[in-house]
Amino acid sequence: MLYRVIDASELPSLVSAFLETYEVIAPVKSGMSHAYSTVESFEEIALDYTTTITPLKKLFLPVRETLLTFDTETNDVTEYSEPVVPRVVFGAHACDINALNSLDLVFRDGPYPDPYYTARRNATLIVGISCMPTDTCFCHLWGSDEARFGYDLFLQDIGGKYLVSISSVEAANILEAACSPREATDEERAEFRHVTRRRQEAFNKEIPDIQEVAMLMDAFHSDPFWEELGARCLSCTACASACPTCYCFDIRDVRTPDGKHGSRERVWDCCTNPQFAVVAGGHNFRPDGRNRVRHRMYHKLNGFLATHDRMLCVGCGRCVRACKANINPIEVLKFFERKGADDAE
Amino acid sequence: MSNLEFERERPAAPRVVVVGLASCFGCQLQITNAEPYLLDVLGQIDLRYWQLASSDPMPEEFDVAVIEGAATTAEDIETLKAVRKKASAVIAVGACATTAGIPGMAAGNVEAGAAAVYGEAGAPEACGELIDPAPISAYIDVDFEVLCCPIDTFAFIDVLQRAIYGSNRLPQTATLCGECKHNDRGCFFGRGVLCLGLVTRCGCGARCTSLGRPCNGCAGLSPDANVAAARAVCAESGVSVTAFDEALQMFNYVNPALSEASEE
Repeated sequence: MLYRVIDASELPSLVSAFLETYEVIAPVKSGMSHAYSTVESFEEIALDYTTTITPLKKLFLPVRETLLTFDTETNDVTEYSEPVVPRVVFGAHACDINALNSLDLVFRDGPYPDPYYTARRNATLIVGISCMPTDTCFCHLWGSDEARFGYDLFLQDIGGKYLVSISSVEAANILEAACSPREATDEERAEFRHVTRRRQEAFNKEIPDIQEVAMLMDAFHSDPFWEELGARCLSCTACASACPTCYCFDIRDVRTPDGKHGSRERVWDCCTNPQFAVVAGGHNFRPDGRNRVRHRMYHKLNGFLATHDRMLCVGCGRCVRACKANINPIEVLKFFERKGADDAE
Repeated sequence: MSNLEFERERPAAPRVVVVGLASCFGCQLQITNAEPYLLDVLGQIDLRYWQLASSDPMPEEFDVAVIEGAATTAEDIETLKAVRKKASAVIAVGACATTAGIPGMAAGNVEAGAAAVYGEAGAPEACGELIDPAPISAYIDVDFEVLCCPIDTFAFIDVLQRAIYGSNRLPQTATLCGECKHNDRGCFFGRGVLCLGLVTRCGCGARCTSLGRPCNGCAGLSPDANVAAARAVCAESGVSVTAFDEALQMFNYVNPALSEASEE
């Protein structure tokens, strides 16, 4: 990987260069929190943001999207795809880049790539930026605190300067034209090491680091803990809306007001939706909070790992904030911690 | 060879009636607010009765009944039963019809309420024989519901089409917060402000919260609402549990799930 250094004062011209040919999406202030939103200038961007309310997935897997249209009288189907504009996500954190890499495994890299997702993903450059953990961050537990791939540029803040790791020609050309990237000095290399150490030490130590989480999920599958956790589920699905890796969806046909045409639409759905597991005949094979919450945690901390060799959770902490009932992976880790205590029952 | 043409038989347009019970008529007005699409919608049905548009009496035969308003009189119950016998599909529209809504808050206090308005003699005969207000599902089977106060015009068109053309889509029972998150705005509870989204049915697009206003619960308590857990959330967030319970009454006063939850 190619590394160069730029000054923080060069970021506005980098963003301006992107704005010339791309739609730029970046973190902006939204009430007391932040959201990824289209921006028109560098000044709108809140690069010191901690996290956003909803993750980047909305840019690739929209809340609602049309897959095809049809004529209700002739049953003729017309292919449909939204025009895809070249975009840059400016300021993605490592956890969110790792989350996109997981979505890629599902929608882009499998035997049947999803054309809608793939078109958007291929048209989007990712510029990552380093961050410091908040109290609800636990990305380091899943190795998601580092973005190893899945970005075009990654900006490591080394105090008034950025160590930029460059992984695409397209982004490198823009960087080269807009800034004056230079070789890193020994001091800058040392500062990078200091910054990574400070970050490593800044994680909330109250979040337990547990070995063999996936195996523990199986071992404690029938523990009363799941009833305790599930019984307080509000069935609101905020967890999945806030989760950067929840990717389940529903497909619905909707008619135009005149009833003559219609569209097939994909909308977000999730396993904490009470009706998610209702099958023909009306049977719900995950009828209560215990089953639904446990299932969701299983997919995050066990199931996906078995197929893709990585946790589906990236430890971004959004669900920790979004779930008002305090149901989140940290609670699961704390449960395993209690099970491992010397005086555990 | 014969020139036989197998012309596809066109079924007659479904005959639709719109019935108004105790309500503000706002949901019926919302139907007319489909303005640019109104003729498109009317083109798919044979509208036989709508007091808002014509004073012709209700016909003897029809296929789809759209009912707005809560049942508040003995006469309403008779109307509902008569309508149900004739209609192959009944659509309840609006909070009053689906939850008893605002009229519901008079339940258990109808006589005193009438006396307060009309004096000791009580409600005049023209009001009918007053009963505790109830959603129409308390008296008849309802096939489709359009939620909220008032209804969304396009939600109505969608449900009407499903009644006409058929649909296997389930009514949604998740509560609102997941949908609210789509708007990328923070949660009211983080600021210690009461919001009924925790227990209210989703499907409205969380438009009040997207405009900076807490949910007042007009879509009604979800059958999957976890009221006990929501009370715990209030207590945790510094929001009065009593205020939460009181706010819930506006659209759920007669919902048995609410009284069961308070007894827990």
